Amino acid sequence: MAPIDTDDHARKKGSAEFLVLAQLEDRPRHGYEIGIEIERKTRGAVSFQIASLYPVLYRLERKGLIAGQWVEKAGQRRRRYYKLTRVGRKVLSEQRRSWSEFVAALQAAGGLEHA
Amino acid sequence: MPDFRAYIRAHLPPLHVSGAREADIVEELALEFEESYEDALANGSTPEDAWQQVVQHAIPWHQLAEQLRSELRETNPVAPVPELTNRNVFLACIADVRHDLRYAFRQLSRSRGFAVIAIVTLALGIGANTAIFSLLNAVVFRSLPVSAPHELVFFGNARAEGSTQYLSSGRAFSYPFYREFRERNHMFSNIAAIHSVLFGTHGRVDDTLDTEKIAVELVSGSYFDTLGIRPTVGRAIREDDDRIAGAHPVAVASYSWWQRRLSANPTSIGKTILINSTIYTIIGVAPPGFFGVTVGRSPDLWIPLAMQKQISPAWNGLSDKRFQTLHLIGRLKPGWTAKRAAEETTSLYRQIASEHAAVDSDDRELNAIQRQHIELVSAATGRSPLRVQFSSPLTILMAVVGVVLLIACANIANILLARALVRQREIAIRLSLGASRSRLIRQFLLESGLVAAVGSIVGVFFAWAAGRLLLGMVSTGTQTVPIQIAPDAAVLSFTFAVTVLTVILFGTVPAFLATRLDVAPSLKEGRATTSSPKRNRLARVLVVAQVALSLVLVVGAGLFLRSLNNLKGVDSGFDKENVLVMGVDPAASGYKDDRRLEAMMEGVEERVSVLPGIAGTSFVFYLFDGGAWRDDIQVQGRTKSDADPGVNNNVVGPRFFDTLKMPIVLGRGLDARDNLGSRKVAVINETMSRVYFNNSPLGHTFGIADTPDFQNLEVVGVVKDAKYEHLDESQRPAAFYPHAQHIGGRFLYLFIARHTGDSARLIPEIRGAIHEVDPNLTLGEITTLEQLVEDSVVDKRLVAQLSAFFGALAAFLACIGIYGVVSFGVVRRMGEFGIRMALGARSYQVLWIILRDTLQMTILGTAIGVFLAIGSGTLIQNQLFGLSSTDPITLMLATFAIIAVALFAGYWPARRAMQVDPMVALRHE
Repeated sequence: MAPIDTDDHARKKGSAEFLVLAQLEDRPRHGYEIGIEIERKTRGAVSFQIASLYPVLYRLERKGLIAGQWVEKAGQRRRRYYKLTRVGRKVLSEQRRSWSEFVAALQAAGGLEHA
Repeated sequence: MPDFRAYIRAHLPPLHVSGAREADIVEELALEFEESYEDALANGSTPEDAWQQVVQHAIPWHQLAEQLRSELRETNPVAPVPELTNRNVFLACIADVRHDLRYAFRQLSRSRGFAVIAIVTLALGIGANTAIFSLLNAVVFRSLPVSAPHELVFFGNARAEGSTQYLSSGRAFSYPFYREFRERNHMFSNIAAIHSVLFGTHGRVDDTLDTEKIAVELVSGSYFDTLGIRPTVGRAIREDDDRIAGAHPVAVASYSWWQRRLSANPTSIGKTILINSTIYTIIGVAPPGFFGVTVGRSPDLWIPLAMQKQISPAWNGLSDKRFQTLHLIGRLKPGWTAKRAAEETTSLYRQIASEHAAVDSDDRELNAIQRQHIELVSAATGRSPLRVQFSSPLTILMAVVGVVLLIACANIANILLARALVRQREIAIRLSLGASRSRLIRQFLLESGLVAAVGSIVGVFFAWAAGRLLLGMVSTGTQTVPIQIAPDAAVLSFTFAVTVLTVILFGTVPAFLATRLDVAPSLKEGRATTSSPKRNRLARVLVVAQVALSLVLVVGAGLFLRSLNNLKGVDSGFDKENVLVMGVDPAASGYKDDRRLEAMMEGVEERVSVLPGIAGTSFVFYLFDGGAWRDDIQVQGRTKSDADPGVNNNVVGPRFFDTLKMPIVLGRGLDARDNLGSRKVAVINETMSRVYFNNSPLGHTFGIADTPDFQNLEVVGVVKDAKYEHLDESQRPAAFYPHAQHIGGRFLYLFIARHTGDSARLIPEIRGAIHEVDPNLTLGEITTLEQLVEDSVVDKRLVAQLSAFFGALAAFLACIGIYGVVSFGVVRRMGEFGIRMALGARSYQVLWIILRDTLQMTILGTAIGVFLAIGSGTLIQNQLFGLSSTDPITLMLATFAIIAVALFAGYWPARRAMQVDPMVALRHE
């Protein structure tokens, strides 16, 4: 089992990155859509302030995990779409494993019930 | 919707990134705000509530800025900066340019219509410039193909052809003068003499039976040495070949003649040519490309001057100090400038000429010699009758094609401006993605450069094809002028320079204007349909300039065409139609200038004149545009005045005036009575009668100065004035003498025949009739008098035809320019027209709005054009005949033509606007 990072700030940062990557797994999305998607899937438990996702997106882009591109579609606004890169996809699966181990550890140690 | 971009820009603290990057981020954030706002509205919020929700739910600005700054700083990690060596900068630059070039290719292949129009327009402009420059270069600028041409100088301008007996003329020199000067001077390393006239003789090569035309240039033994020309095969003419008169019948062949006539066979050295009963041996072949020192004239053979009498049996004087017919060319010794050498040359000329004059001259001539100055004119580019004739026409045409290119550039600049509008989005995106403006300008210039480069390559091909056409246009007679006008280094450099200039002219301003834009609004726009007033204004200014310039060209074309028409309408004083002109070479057939020659001429005149379909025949010494024998005359009982004009003398057959239909206005013409046994007579023209005989000349006598055979000539008739050398000459006195009374001293090389029947059928009959008189008589080319007259205006015709062509091209280009700008305006204002028509405007009112706009530009353009045309008119005044450069009719016609063309160009887009369906137009908006 990989060592779990317990630093709160790092974990929050890490969780945001994980959530963003996960939303891009099946198709490219623009920034607003990513935020909405996370809020919808977590039934509002996790929501981001307006514009707060962009530092995360730019970071992921810098790390080469996602790639942004301006796209213009007929009848729509021009938007910047982000998609998962090959590296990003690999990192996502690693993170997914490490998060499930973390959640399993919390369940075991904290006496949490299965969701 | 609130303007979130402005809101974000107002609140977001600086991120310390490039403007483009920041614009990109603002755009993305604004989109997020907009979507949140729209969602709030969709959930039933009022706009105020929605605004509040969005603003309250936004991450605090300072926090966002801090996070973004931290992320973005890392986004641009400070890579180890490579050492900025020149090599790195250079390589980076190359890589950038390669990338931009690829992009430019893609852009152009995406808009093929634009590329094709621009390339064809430029190819026409650049091609025209290259073609005219090729000719100008060949005729005026190109150095002689000799060694160190800049060291060579002519004595005087070396233009006069023929001979003069005045020792003070300083224009042509005698053989004795050449010998003495060469001996006594210390300024020149060598001096050569060249006969001023190229002899069109006839000869037989080796043992062939047919005689053929051979152009012979007589040159001194020093000729090839002075020019530094080594023969390709054999040897050159040497001093020894030119020492004793008539002793060395040798010839050096030109390379092209050697190829054409002797199949470039190296063993042809030693072959012989029979010319005028003398057998010449070919001793060498000049190198390829060497044509002598006269541009536009290429001798077949060079023969030593010492053979003058054998080549020109009736007109020569090798030892005669007053038979001055040579041009001298000298090679300056190192350290001598032409100016300093000219002083010494003048001084030595005065000494030698005075010594020559001392025997038989008067004080007047001696004084004139002491006043004469010999100028040394650079011979680097040779001498050329073509240059004298065509320098001004070609300079005018060069200016004309320059203006055509300007108009073409204006057209392309206009298209580029329109394209820049369409490409606003692309430019904005590239700017927002971090491209610098200079990089974009470079990109635009590269695209323009690519178009211009392809245009210039196509243009060079155009020029190459047009070059042959041009050569045909400057050539007279049956042969093309022998000059090389295939593009050479000078021409290609010129084309390159023109290409660079055109890119600067048409590419720069659009590139600068296109890249000067606000990123955000441009990104926001759909397909750009609006244009900035500045760009629009520039487009209109370009159209006005095109109209003005094309008017100048059309006015010029009109002036030249009318001038040519005036010239052709001049009363020549003779009937040029239905007259055949045949070259005859009695000298080549072994005739001497004696009674046998006279008998042959009379026999031929007689025999041919009785052919059915022939109305008159005559041998002539000089015919229209074939040069002249001009001399002073002395009228008995009349005091000579310095103001007396020289007289054009001509020796002709008895039926000359009938043959040319020149009416006798007083007394009689020449006829069979005038023979060797009768009193020597002359028929003079009206001007001579007026100037020398106060209009009552009959019975009076006169003589030609210093010409013993032409003394005590009785005037028996007056013929109507005519043109003798050119159609635009001022009227000259002229006198005509019967050849039967002047045997010896000249050959008459031209035979004319007036016909009533079909000339094609008559030519073989005439030949047959002549050969009945003498089967061995050498006959030359046949042409018509009409052709000679037509050829005499070849320079005027060239300018008129080409300026008309380029004027039409300019008007056409301006037409395209107007069409483009008006069309663009119509598309832009389609909505407006829709509204107007929906509100009840009639279609003719819409038409009028557009045509009014076109008219405004056109009238402004023509006003400027008229002003320019009048201003530049003085430059061409001396090329015009019978009208002023400010000729009001031409100006008016040209103005109407341009306005008509402009309205035509404006009408088509206007028609489109007229037919617009208001609903469609509004939807378009």
